Amino acid sequence: MTRIALRGLLARKLRFFLTALAVLLGTTLIAGTYIFTDSINSGFDKIFTASNKGTDASVTAKKTFENSDGTQPVVPASVLEQVRKAPDVETAGGTVFDLATILDKKGKRTGSGGAPSFIGSVAPEARFNAVTYPQGRGPRTDDEAAVDNGTAKKAGFKVGDRICAVAAQPRKCFKLVGVTEIAGVGFGGASTLELTLHAAQRMLDKKGFDQIQAASKPGVSPQKLSDELRASLPASVQVRTGQQEAAKQSADIRDNLGFLKIALLAFAGISLFVGAFLIFNTFSITVAQRSREIALLRTLGASRKQVLRSVILEGLLVGIVGGFLGVALGLGTAAGLKELFKAFGADLPSGGSVLATRTIVLTVAVGAVVSVVSSIAPAIRATRVAPIEALTESAAPVTKAASRRLTISALALLALGVALMCLGLFASLSTNGALSAVGAGAALTFIGVALVSPHLVRPLASAIGGPIERFTGITGRLARENSVRQSGRTAVTAAALMIGVALVTFASIFAAGAKTTIAKAVDQNLRGELVVQASGGNQPFAPGLLQQAARTDGVAAASGVRFSKAKLPGGKTVQVASIEPPTFTKLYDLKLKTGSLGDVRALGDGQALMSKKYAEGNDLDVGATVRATTPSGKRVPLKVTAITDDNGFLSTDLVVSEPVMRRDFGETKDAVGFIGLRPGADAKAVKKQLTALVDREYPGSEVLTDKEFKDSVAGQVDQLLTLIYALLALAIIVSLFGIVNTLVLSVTERTRELGMLRAIGTSRKQVKRMIRWEAVITALIGSILGAVVGVILAVLFTRPLDDFTLSIPIGTLVAVLILGGVAGVFAAILPARRASRLNVLDALAYE
Amino acid sequence: MESIVTTQALVSATDLSRVYGTGEAEVRALDGVSVDFPAGRFTAIMGASGSGKSTLMHVLAGLDRPTSGTVQVDGVELGGLDDKRLTELRREKIGFVFQSFNLLPVLNARENIVLPLSIAGKKGDQEWIDRLIETVGLGDRLSHRPSELSGGQQQRVAVARALVARPAVVFGDEPTGNLDSRSSGEVMNLLRRSVDEFGQTVIMVTHDAGAAAYADRIVVLADGRIVHDGDAGSADDVLDLMKAVA
Repeated sequence: MTRIALRGLLARKLRFFLTALAVLLGTTLIAGTYIFTDSINSGFDKIFTASNKGTDASVTAKKTFENSDGTQPVVPASVLEQVRKAPDVETAGGTVFDLATILDKKGKRTGSGGAPSFIGSVAPEARFNAVTYPQGRGPRTDDEAAVDNGTAKKAGFKVGDRICAVAAQPRKCFKLVGVTEIAGVGFGGASTLELTLHAAQRMLDKKGFDQIQAASKPGVSPQKLSDELRASLPASVQVRTGQQEAAKQSADIRDNLGFLKIALLAFAGISLFVGAFLIFNTFSITVAQRSREIALLRTLGASRKQVLRSVILEGLLVGIVGGFLGVALGLGTAAGLKELFKAFGADLPSGGSVLATRTIVLTVAVGAVVSVVSSIAPAIRATRVAPIEALTESAAPVTKAASRRLTISALALLALGVALMCLGLFASLSTNGALSAVGAGAALTFIGVALVSPHLVRPLASAIGGPIERFTGITGRLARENSVRQSGRTAVTAAALMIGVALVTFASIFAAGAKTTIAKAVDQNLRGELVVQASGGNQPFAPGLLQQAARTDGVAAASGVRFSKAKLPGGKTVQVASIEPPTFTKLYDLKLKTGSLGDVRALGDGQALMSKKYAEGNDLDVGATVRATTPSGKRVPLKVTAITDDNGFLSTDLVVSEPVMRRDFGETKDAVGFIGLRPGADAKAVKKQLTALVDREYPGSEVLTDKEFKDSVAGQVDQLLTLIYALLALAIIVSLFGIVNTLVLSVTERTRELGMLRAIGTSRKQVKRMIRWEAVITALIGSILGAVVGVILAVLFTRPLDDFTLSIPIGTLVAVLILGGVAGVFAAILPARRASRLNVLDALAYE
Repeated sequence: MESIVTTQALVSATDLSRVYGTGEAEVRALDGVSVDFPAGRFTAIMGASGSGKSTLMHVLAGLDRPTSGTVQVDGVELGGLDDKRLTELRREKIGFVFQSFNLLPVLNARENIVLPLSIAGKKGDQEWIDRLIETVGLGDRLSHRPSELSGGQQQRVAVARALVARPAVVFGDEPTGNLDSRSSGEVMNLLRRSVDEFGQTVIMVTHDAGAAAYADRIVVLADGRIVHDGDAGSADDVLDLMKAVA
């Protein structure tokens, strides 16, 4: 029996190939994701291990909670003196390292898109030094600098050139005295400028250190030294051995990249889910077509169990082959992912591809499981083939109307799916619980729609096929009839495409809504004429920029907003924004639920504004005091003076004044700035002047009009959307293989009909056209279902977001439908060619 | 091409050979067959399995190419035609009736009948179609799909389909092979009437003596050669003939 199953597989190579391909595309992305993230992690591991090599004990600031986007708390300078005085310390030194903007020779920021760049201080002692200098040497005076090899190559810097950077201070230039390399690992697009400690501290505006490295006297173990230091140093610092510190730094990066990994695996999961539809459909069709063969085996004494096993074995083999091929192609995919992320501005370090055993085992196992699970239902159907069917006249399998029971369970599944999604969206579950509920709910919804859709195939095919028929006559007519004669098969094929289309639709609606929402916030809230932000968003910029802008001719006021985080009683971490109270209300129309603008203008020490959402959720009101823990571990009592109701920049749960933000939260850089002009000032001239100021002293930031700012945000949303489209394309490609596979099998099934049609005068072109239209009809059914489901999902998902303006991009939806039809044409190429090349006589004799 | 139409023979084969395989496995399905089929006549081609009768029909209808020799259908030499021309020829000059009916299950009886016209993108002569449908005698079952028709009814639809485009010649490939004797009689009557009433030329391969008796002429093949060519008689005569040549 096993041999028969194997023979069956080998005899139908094309089918096997296409089915394995369905598994392959999903498993490739899984393997690629693991190889990609493992390689990045290994690159970082090497860097951190090298940079902590000579360190016996490492002292860093204790983080109260993760605030990765903001300014990190530092170890006070006084701690270094304490460390140096410790009896077992031979030598110790401090370093700083933080985000900065390094400029290329034209004064523009180096690196593409969002690749990060840093300023770091030179190692305080040779023994702590992890950096090597392929050219030149490290900086010795405050006006010298060294830059990493990658940046030097890309921007064309040579020893002796001038190199400039911007951080918490305006632009400053240094003499390039060396080119650095660390552990032989390329940092990708990330740049690091090495300065002396003093210069780096000044540029980054740091009074202390990010890390203190200590080496022990001979005979003292790193562990002993660390224990001793821990006992003598203040509680605000963290002491680790060099090894522990390297492990901690690696773990932090791993956590940061964890999101990326999960996101990529989610897309792989979607592809596999779509692939499962394809496998299910392929096995269903082949079981139906082989029912006579199966019946014959049963008359010859094969048991039901053997039949079941042979079909599942076939599924297992498809899965295993797909899995192994996935691993092989995963190496290429990992490289592709790196390029993809590089294209979107996130270049990650690489020290060669890492193919872990875990990656291979996991990928193959996932491929096998998905494939086996998808083949169970067809396998069970195969066991129901009665031996007598071997003796009856064979004909193309007859359509069985979908049973009522199946329809009812499909509707139940659909209801359960929607209920689960609602549970995830509206009930207050933990983030993980909510995501799992939503994910499982979406999967069930898709399966439910797929099972209900056989009922929709006929009306949809009529609606789509009607116009086609009018133009193409009999070929269109036959295409339509053929697409509905096995409505279950067409439904599953279309449903696979539906999933990808629904997600594309969903993403595009979400993105359009996000853009509209932001544009509305800008229109409603901004009173000033200009907005300042770091080019490309996200990174904060030096506060000196707005101070200088405020002194520029024609400018009435400039006001900066900063962001940080705070931990509130109950352990919840919330976003905190800061404003410059005197100028802020002139430039921003802040909506309040309770309190007056006077309260906002008077916002001072020990005071805060609270969001309506947080206040209502925690039963707080004006007058209440919350104890907030800042990223540096300080506890500050904040008295609520007003309740905000803002959908724009100040939708954070807490708003404090700028001095509080600087002193207590340690955040010294502005995230966004608003500028208002004097009445009668020439807006264009002022903008030009401000732009000149920024280019001269604060390159890497930009001054935008409200409209430009909206476009800039829209551009970022679109960039993210493009990335999502690129990843969803995989799922859509899988579903197109599904159309190819179904059509190839249908063509085989209809061989005799095709022979007859050719015999009575149908041309090859007409046969091709017929298949092509069938593919287009199937693809359009999938696209229409997908667009509808996508719109419904988007409406559902945006319900809980009360600030969200839903806008449906009709143009995109139309484009999706057209592309769906075009995709059908492509999917038809192979099956149409096969159908048109059938030998008429052979086809007529085909059983 | 039209100027060649001078001969009496509507379909003619000259020195046809068809060899399958090579060397040891070589099979000579046709071995120098020359035969003419005049217009308006009903010919039955008979012979045992493997006698080459089906191959002869396939070659005559342009579905198979001879190893050597030539075939002319309605003045057109088939040898030089590519697939596109052959398709056009089949569309315009040839009708088929198959053993296994070969109707499209997704179309109803009427749609199956006019299928060749639809494929050619023609409307057809409505009067002729009505007459044909009347002759076929399906009456109220015209809107039924093939799965709702009996074998005999399906084959009558197939005959009407073969006749609808007024082809020069209708080829039948064991048209009664899947039918009981009563249905066979109905189908053969229909083919006979097409010859008598519409002047249709019909060439039919069969090993059913009863069916062959409806023909005007019987050609018998054995081992790829014609061993008998003469007027048809009653079914019994045909049976005797078959015994004699076997």
